[in-house]
Amino acid sequence: MSLLNVDNCTKNFGGLAAVSDLCMEVGTHDLLGLIGPNGAGKTTVFNMITGVHHPTGGRIVFDGIGLVGRKAHEIARLGIARTFQNIRLFPSLTVYETVQVAFNRNVRYGFSHAISRLGSFHEDEAAVRNNIMEILEFFDLTEVRDEQATSLPYGLQRRVEIVRALATRPKLLLLDEPAAGMNPSEKVSLMNLIKLVREKYDIAILLIEHDMKVVMGICERLIVLDYGVKIAEGTPREIQNHPKVIEAYLGEQVQ
Amino acid sequence: MKLDKSIVFLISAFVISGLATTIENRLNPYYFQILIYIGIYIILASSLNIINGYAGQFSLGHAGFMAIGAYTSAVITSALHVSRGSVFSFPAFAIALLFGGIVASLFGLIVGIPSLRLKGDYLAITTLGFGEIIRVIVQNLDFLGAARGFTGIPKLTNSFWVFSTVALVIFVIYNLVNSTYGKAFLAVRDDEVAAEAVGISSTRVKVVAFVTGAFFAGIAGGLYAHFVTYINPMQFSFIKSFEIVVMVIIGGMGSLLGVILSATLLTILPEALRGVAQYRMVIYSLLLVIIMITRPQGLFVKRRSIKKNAAPQTELS
Repeated sequence: MSLLNVDNCTKNFGGLAAVSDLCMEVGTHDLLGLIGPNGAGKTTVFNMITGVHHPTGGRIVFDGIGLVGRKAHEIARLGIARTFQNIRLFPSLTVYETVQVAFNRNVRYGFSHAISRLGSFHEDEAAVRNNIMEILEFFDLTEVRDEQATSLPYGLQRRVEIVRALATRPKLLLLDEPAAGMNPSEKVSLMNLIKLVREKYDIAILLIEHDMKVVMGICERLIVLDYGVKIAEGTPREIQNHPKVIEAYLGEQVQ
Repeated sequence: MKLDKSIVFLISAFVISGLATTIENRLNPYYFQILIYIGIYIILASSLNIINGYAGQFSLGHAGFMAIGAYTSAVITSALHVSRGSVFSFPAFAIALLFGGIVASLFGLIVGIPSLRLKGDYLAITTLGFGEIIRVIVQNLDFLGAARGFTGIPKLTNSFWVFSTVALVIFVIYNLVNSTYGKAFLAVRDDEVAAEAVGISSTRVKVVAFVTGAFFAGIAGGLYAHFVTYINPMQFSFIKSFEIVVMVIIGGMGSLLGVILSATLLTILPEALRGVAQYRMVIYSLLLVIIMITRPQGLFVKRRSIKKNAAPQTELS
């Protein structure tokens, strides 16, 4: 049962083919890793799925709905959430407010009631407050909830970013190099975090990552890109010994 | 029906400012004038703050919205032959002000929608252009008095109208920013891409900001016109837009209290400096430079911003 179907997608930037004829399927409960050397086009794939870029060719179907041509916020509302390679938090907001932004779509009231506070305002706000406290509690962020999110240690910032994505109740979570810039113990925490997310939310996760320990440690299936082309697909074990993959990573350590 | 605290605040403000009109005659006319100007500039600066400080869109054409409100309301009171003493003047002025605000907000829509693709400097120049276009159009419309100006506007503005509107602007901004709905504005200001990624339409946020900001600028224009009783296009030039921008920056973009204080300060300052006549503008400008060098995040802001292009926070933002 495929949740996301990327069908012959291509992205050209001028003369450069960042991604060529990519075919990829993600099932509703998959934990899929997208790996490849730097510049392989992995983030471009994410950007095409989330609507930041429009594919030059091909289709993307999510939960039966075509994604190509839709705006980024529409796609987010359909149930795809993401984190970014360089953590993108809201510099002036606290952890609490950051998660609150993600619950924006849960409120039924509009502009006029936001101001007059009539109608469903108080009820909706109370419900949002409960949701925020619950998710902060679950991910152990209650203590820092009134801290400026960008003033937290790097590992916690990444956690906040992931929690913000989860607050939108997505069906598919895209994590773009979540372990980037982390020390070994932070990476272990991250892996546990992702496993926790899997248990609680039972959603599909698509992960871009360079750190092979992380990738091999949590992914059930891998897709390997090189120069925008899929060169291999399979379980971590299969990929580890795949000749084309080893060749693409020549000069880098693959465990 | 349970009334939110903020509505209690608003109604109290209406009552108090209404009572204030009964004693305003006893006040020295010069001080009274400054008080009215303070109120009008608070409205102008706060409404610009919605666009600049909360939604993060750099607008340099705010005087254009003010002009639209001023002329629209003047035309209405003139057409309705409203005069100062009549009982009819109360609802008539309310209608005139409201229409001034609505027409200004329509222009906010017209400016907002195409500007949305533009960022930073480009948006600033576009809004600057808009402000000038409005001024030039009015300058060439004979029935609005063109360059000669629009005279004979009834002096209907008093403390009730001004400070009720101030209370309304504060009410709107405070409630907006402290709601989940309003957090979307701050998110778009801070990082548009991240905001879109959690399902927020940055386009919608920017349009709402422009329309709301323009609405209150229009009302401020109406209040201004019915206080000075004579308006001409040169009063609404880029210089006026710039004065308002300065108030927002000095007060701290995105800071409700800060902007109120800076609007007050910057209205009083030129008056207070009248004693030093020819050095007035020098001192004023020097002060601005010093403030920008020493406290670029704004005078009245408590928390420092983390990123240099992020808006700082106070307890009321």
